Amino acid sequence: MVRLATEAMGTRFELVLADRRRDESFLRAAGEEAVALIQEWHQRLSVFDAGSMLSVLNRTAGSERVRVDDELMELLAACARLHRATGGAFDVTVGPLMRRWGLRGDQAGVDAVWGMDHVRLDRDRRAVWFAAAGVELDLGGIAKGHVLDLAAELLREQEIQSALLHGGTSTVVAIGEPPSGAGWTVRVAPLPDAPVVVLRDRALSASAPTGRMARVEGRAVGHVLDPRTGEPACGPSHSAVLADSARDADAWSTALLVLGERPATIPATMTTLLATAAGWQAAGPETEHFRRPGDSSLGEGRSA
Amino acid sequence: MTEYDRRRFLTQAAGGLAALSVLPELGLARVPSRSEGLKVAVVGAGRQGRAILGELGKLGVSVAAVCDVDQRRLASGVRRASGAEGFASVDDLLSRRPDIEAVAIATPTPTHRAVAERVLEAGKHVYLECPLAHTVEDCAAIAAAARASARTIAAGLQGRANPVYKLARTFYRTDAIRDLVAIRAQQNEKTSWRTAARDPARERALNWRLDPEVTIGLAGEWGTQQFDVVHWYVGRYPETVRGSGDIRLHDDGRRIHDTVACTFRFADGADFQYSATLANSFEGAYEVFYGSNSAIKLSWSHGWMFKEADSPRQGWEVYANRQQFHNDEGITLIADATKLASQGRLQEGIGLPYSSLYYALADWITSIEEGTTPSCSIGEAARATAVGIAAHQATVTGDEVAIDFSALT
Repeated sequence: MVRLATEAMGTRFELVLADRRRDESFLRAAGEEAVALIQEWHQRLSVFDAGSMLSVLNRTAGSERVRVDDELMELLAACARLHRATGGAFDVTVGPLMRRWGLRGDQAGVDAVWGMDHVRLDRDRRAVWFAAAGVELDLGGIAKGHVLDLAAELLREQEIQSALLHGGTSTVVAIGEPPSGAGWTVRVAPLPDAPVVVLRDRALSASAPTGRMARVEGRAVGHVLDPRTGEPACGPSHSAVLADSARDADAWSTALLVLGERPATIPATMTTLLATAAGWQAAGPETEHFRRPGDSSLGEGRSA
Repeated sequence: MTEYDRRRFLTQAAGGLAALSVLPELGLARVPSRSEGLKVAVVGAGRQGRAILGELGKLGVSVAAVCDVDQRRLASGVRRASGAEGFASVDDLLSRRPDIEAVAIATPTPTHRAVAERVLEAGKHVYLECPLAHTVEDCAAIAAAARASARTIAAGLQGRANPVYKLARTFYRTDAIRDLVAIRAQQNEKTSWRTAARDPARERALNWRLDPEVTIGLAGEWGTQQFDVVHWYVGRYPETVRGSGDIRLHDDGRRIHDTVACTFRFADGADFQYSATLANSFEGAYEVFYGSNSAIKLSWSHGWMFKEADSPRQGWEVYANRQQFHNDEGITLIADATKLASQGRLQEGIGLPYSSLYYALADWITSIEEGTTPSCSIGEAARATAVGIAAHQATVTGDEVAIDFSALT
């Protein structure tokens, strides 16, 4: 078994490669290629690095059409698709709104322009531009899942059949199952009563509004904002989504905190888990994969 | 440098802000004027080729074609290049796309000569990654082909186009460190240097850096970039090199050292110590020039000057930005500092906004457009590579190796 780790996107990514058919040097080399890919995307998408592709886009797309490569265009198109599918609850333009609420260490109360509707994508010409001044893209809500999908794809191309990848423990991709069998067991939140889930060739993303907080007029404001109203989200305290794509799971787990419940528009293949006042609520095709800490199943629509 | 020149430089640097006045080159504006029309191809779509594609994208250069013999890498490069056409061989690329004007070459080092000669023969502008080649003979052949070409040929020795390095060199050349005492450089990274390959053919193609027949090891593959910085700063080349090496971590059957150390000796007796390892990442890559008045430390995106307590003060130091390093305080060397300070944005200048590769490629593109000479010529790269090859030989044999450029002339 080979374990690798790297710091990227403000958190720690870790890869465990456990394919017993491969020797350690092969697993390490494959893992290092995946780590390099994570670092490459960190440098492309960082809004804290003035030289990143995303920073270049944010500086220039307000005044001209910016040509981007296929990979970035595909990612931005996915952001637009997820914005529509979530009814606007997931939005990668909320950076200025975060600043307005003082969630970036900035002075609260500044004017903010946001809204995915201001972002124009011309897929045929591979061009991006902003229809309003002050618009910025911040892919922090989806980037971890996106790079984990790419890293997992790379490992699968190397025919690695057993691996677990995570970014900051909140976004996880499982390839196959560990040598012990029975899937990769992951707790969905750092709480004693949080359910565990058994993953096999599936991605998990868990979100919570806590973590980065600001105090505005005496009240604590969590870092998840409702892009539809501009106000802090007041949904459940935790959410988790099981999906084939870590990128989509990331977007939907954030959107669920805004929406407060599983919407009809969510793909039927996704399984959701929400921490509500009534307890943990699971819904979707894999509710039996969630288990209470006591090891009993958390069935469809049931709470722990 | 005369006393008058020295005084004039320090006067220009007044305000504490280490002026480098010629720089719109920090490049916060994008897109060179005519480069969107320039038809560029990238040959080699491994990690460095993909990095080149990314930086060309930031420069607003449209890459028309990507070439790689490995299908997986080619597909990955084409995705990064936005609409580029993919080719599996250089011959195919050159015959089917005669409209290509400029080619960036990022193939494995041992293939540089064959690719570069073919591309130069076809009359293209060339950016060639460094080290230039794995033998001095190949370096000489590439240099000869470049001399015979009327096109713009740039070597990828990135320090020479790096704004922080250019600024720090201005200080160095104006005697800021006074008498050179010693030089030290390192590159540390924790990585196996291996690429996952599932069959022997791919193993040989992808893991050429671990093949004793063709590799020039850490000293050649990594060191060449840093050796060139040293040559460029001190204005001369070392005469001999001693080396040693060992496998300290990656004992996976390889015969190439994962940790090396070299000592270069200059004619005046000054020593340059270099080390590199694949077993530890502490402090990454840097170069330090130790002088009797101060030391200059460079780490590619950043640069600092550490003044001795008894060194003369010019006045501007009190205003300069500083960073603490344990017991020492470094004055941050900020390119474009005067302009940034006048805009109240000096803090933004700490650390380059783009990678060194970006500036090297921008330098090449600008040279093509304006018909000027690139910052790093093939001849300079050939000499730096010859130093790297000698250093590798020294680490393999443990002997002192003489550095000899006669084969390059």
